[in-house]
Amino acid sequence: MPNPLKPEKSIVTTCAYCGVGCGFRAETLNGKIVRMIPWKEGKANHGHSCVKGRFAYDYYNAPDRVRTPLIRASIADPWTPVSWQEAFDHVAREFKRIQGKYGVKSVGAVSSSRCTNEEIFLVQKFARAVLGNNNIDNCARICHSPTQFGLTNTIGWGAASQHFDSILQSDVIMVVGANPTEGHPVFGSLMKRRIRQGAKLIVIDPRRTETVESAHCKADVHLAIRPGTNVAILDSIAHVIVTENLYNANFVKARCEVHEFESWKNFVSSEKYAPETIGPLAGVNPEDIRRAARLYAGGPNSAIYYGLGVTEHSQGSTGVMCLGNLGLACGMLGREGVGVNPLRGQGNVQGGSCLGSWPHVFSGYRFVTDETTRKSFEAEWGVPLDPEPGLRLPNMLDSAVAGSFKAMYIMGEDPVQSDPNQHHVIAAMKAMECVVLHDLFLNETSKYAHVFLPGSSSLEKDGTFTNAERRVSRVRKVIEPLAGYEDWEITVKLMNAMGYKATYNHSGEVLDEIARLSPAYRGMSFDLIDRIGSAQWPCDENAPEGTEVLHREKFPRANGLGTFMLTEYVPTAERTSDRYPLMLTTGRILTQYNVGTQTRRTPNSLWHPEDVLEINQQDADERGVKDGQWIKLTSRFGQIELRAKISSRVNPGVVYTTFHHATSKANVVTSDLSDWATNCPEYKVTAVDVTPTNRAEITSSNIAIDASAKQLEPAE
Amino acid sequence: MWNELRNLTDDIDYGTPPRDGPMVTLEIDGETVSVPHGSSIMLAAASAGRPIPKLCATDMLEPFGSCRVCLVEIEGRGGYPASCTTPVIDGMKVRTQTETLKKLRKGVLELYLSDFPESELVGGWSEFHQTIIGEGVTTHPFDGSYNHFQAPIDASNPYFLFDPAKCIVCSRCVRACNDIQGAFAITIAGRGFESKVVASQDQSFFESECVSCGACVQACPSHALVEKSLFEGDYVHAESVKA
Repeated sequence: MPNPLKPEKSIVTTCAYCGVGCGFRAETLNGKIVRMIPWKEGKANHGHSCVKGRFAYDYYNAPDRVRTPLIRASIADPWTPVSWQEAFDHVAREFKRIQGKYGVKSVGAVSSSRCTNEEIFLVQKFARAVLGNNNIDNCARICHSPTQFGLTNTIGWGAASQHFDSILQSDVIMVVGANPTEGHPVFGSLMKRRIRQGAKLIVIDPRRTETVESAHCKADVHLAIRPGTNVAILDSIAHVIVTENLYNANFVKARCEVHEFESWKNFVSSEKYAPETIGPLAGVNPEDIRRAARLYAGGPNSAIYYGLGVTEHSQGSTGVMCLGNLGLACGMLGREGVGVNPLRGQGNVQGGSCLGSWPHVFSGYRFVTDETTRKSFEAEWGVPLDPEPGLRLPNMLDSAVAGSFKAMYIMGEDPVQSDPNQHHVIAAMKAMECVVLHDLFLNETSKYAHVFLPGSSSLEKDGTFTNAERRVSRVRKVIEPLAGYEDWEITVKLMNAMGYKATYNHSGEVLDEIARLSPAYRGMSFDLIDRIGSAQWPCDENAPEGTEVLHREKFPRANGLGTFMLTEYVPTAERTSDRYPLMLTTGRILTQYNVGTQTRRTPNSLWHPEDVLEINQQDADERGVKDGQWIKLTSRFGQIELRAKISSRVNPGVVYTTFHHATSKANVVTSDLSDWATNCPEYKVTAVDVTPTNRAEITSSNIAIDASAKQLEPAE
Repeated sequence: MWNELRNLTDDIDYGTPPRDGPMVTLEIDGETVSVPHGSSIMLAAASAGRPIPKLCATDMLEPFGSCRVCLVEIEGRGGYPASCTTPVIDGMKVRTQTETLKKLRKGVLELYLSDFPESELVGGWSEFHQTIIGEGVTTHPFDGSYNHFQAPIDASNPYFLFDPAKCIVCSRCVRACNDIQGAFAITIAGRGFESKVVASQDQSFFESECVSCGACVQACPSHALVEKSLFEGDYVHAESVKA
């Protein structure tokens, strides 16, 4: 059998991994998926792919995939398989009982950026229309909520201003707190292509990442800042731009609130933001700050791309505002080749943000407190809606510990592994009376769940994803759902079991409802996307096939002008000390994805079988740590054990790890500090110390499940 | 609706990347076609629905002109230029299917065939297979004793394998790795008949700088680089079975 088998059928769909949202042709033979071929017509990837989307799709068929609903009376009991109807009735009974006993607001829901737009929309509908409160949040809370806040307050929309291809017109690319070659590989390769063509590259990152230097691609300026000094460094760049008169006065006059600009200008020109002051504080050469500022302001087309290295800080929202300010001051918005662009981690973070999975806004970022908006939703949904904003995810957890929050419907999330301060999350989970988890696999959170609803992977359902460039693409059903239902159907059936009547013949009708209720999605429909492939919002009567570049003529703010925010640098309360002298920062690696639920179940783990701690030679020598040795990583919040990897990618004083493996429990050590505006956790800065250790037993509350996860990983 | 999209995008390979520019009108085998300035004759022919056989060209990569299969005749010009590397000019008259061209292509394809495992010809559906079948070349006059049939298969990557016996050294994988992914992990080592595709410093794919993006696998026209998922059970080298 020397020749490969020939697939018989192919269906175009969208990758479920990162925010690039590549188009793929899923090819099948005898009803089985045999390969994924990147789709040449896909506007996000133009026929390119990475190791995750191209090859690591087999997780959907993993042996430990849950295929029947499970319930149990208490988390100490074993799971009992039940029929779907029993599961729905059980959840409805429990939620109603809890709401009757503890009040309407004692129950909430969390959706995930790995779900489709339709599912995210339905989960928030479930919270608002069925549970009758606004206790709805999504996992963008812990990654890009500051983007939403920071960009809305400067340029008007919390979304990327450009399409990916815009980078091919850029002369200067500034990457802040992101590592696209690992985290967004297909966009990363596009960026590297532009750099090989001659664009200049500025990288602001504590770590010498792949993006900083790889084959035929080297940053012109790398500001290897100390973790937590983003805002200081960005203010310092602004200082140089203002004091050296490098800003674009014409753009500011024509497109911005001039009065606000003047006060910002005064603010950043203060000597305390001079590179000579900030440089030593942030651990970089002042001259490099000046070079970065001159390069960025000089353009002619400069684009900013940023990631979680900006947002996941106690000043995350401030950091995002700094970037908005820079874009406005230098006139780097409103045309191709420029812009301020968040690189979203998960496939549908943008969709999660757009579609009302927030306690304070409906889809389209319209406030629940606004009566007109609320009326439009009440008319469509036929029930009165709560005018009071609900609880954010961290507040739900806090209230659970406090005893006022008792039940939760979690779709596609693993808060115990992915949220900060794991001990606190576990305490919250244990305090609840009914935790309903809707996912593909039993995970860390399922250890504390009472009901498990087996979901469908993105290969088993219809819907849409909105990628990091606001592009809405179709997710198409390639095979039948393994557990029987598509995810959106499960949520609808849950609504019905709770006594709320909702009927949709297919998920396209959910998108139609989204379009009726959300201005930016008004023109979206399955028909449109089937016809033109994909469309970037805003998509409406003025832009029937979507909009590639935002802010061309005005900013989506009341007066149409961009504005400047004062971005005072306030050092995080998380400081190094004699006891915790090192700064830990976290990131990702190419072959693994997020908490690893998908990629750990594929051969991708051959490349990254475990999380390791990168440590500089100097810090390692001081502590007697050898390459490959087990070390204990201790913070004020907890301790974990990892293997050390001596690396020149991190400077002395900084250590780095990834959080892809449940067994390494990186979030045991992360702090409980969070962004002042949005509660986005400060994952990127934790004071720690490292000591050599003999490997001790993993202290886990449920070793059995860890062991089953371990079995799926290749032998070391 | 969905069928309509699939027809629209039925994976036509235009051979060379699209260009932006003022339209240029030319004649391909008597058929008039207009394409943007800077486009190749190959792209124009594919747009006119008269695709030219090719091996080393694909529209995701810049043309390279190495396989010598896509030769054409241009009125008023001597020789047989490669259509992938020859840009269109207004009023150009191109012939793609003359007897001479067929003979030239046959000669080139027979050489390729002489170093391609015979047992893997039947049942193959790669671009290489389609091209030789399309041109009616199924045998070759050479004794075939110079070949790469015994070169070991690299199955180190969990997702794809590389079988040098099927490699036609067109460099599509090398160019995909360099130009699309930017990993620069694959190269051609050696000269002449010894030329071969190697990863990094002649390492296995798994140990090399390869990031496993799959661009090379997608670019490969002969299934020398191919997804493991398309095989039931282990991949067995046809020639080694015979031995």
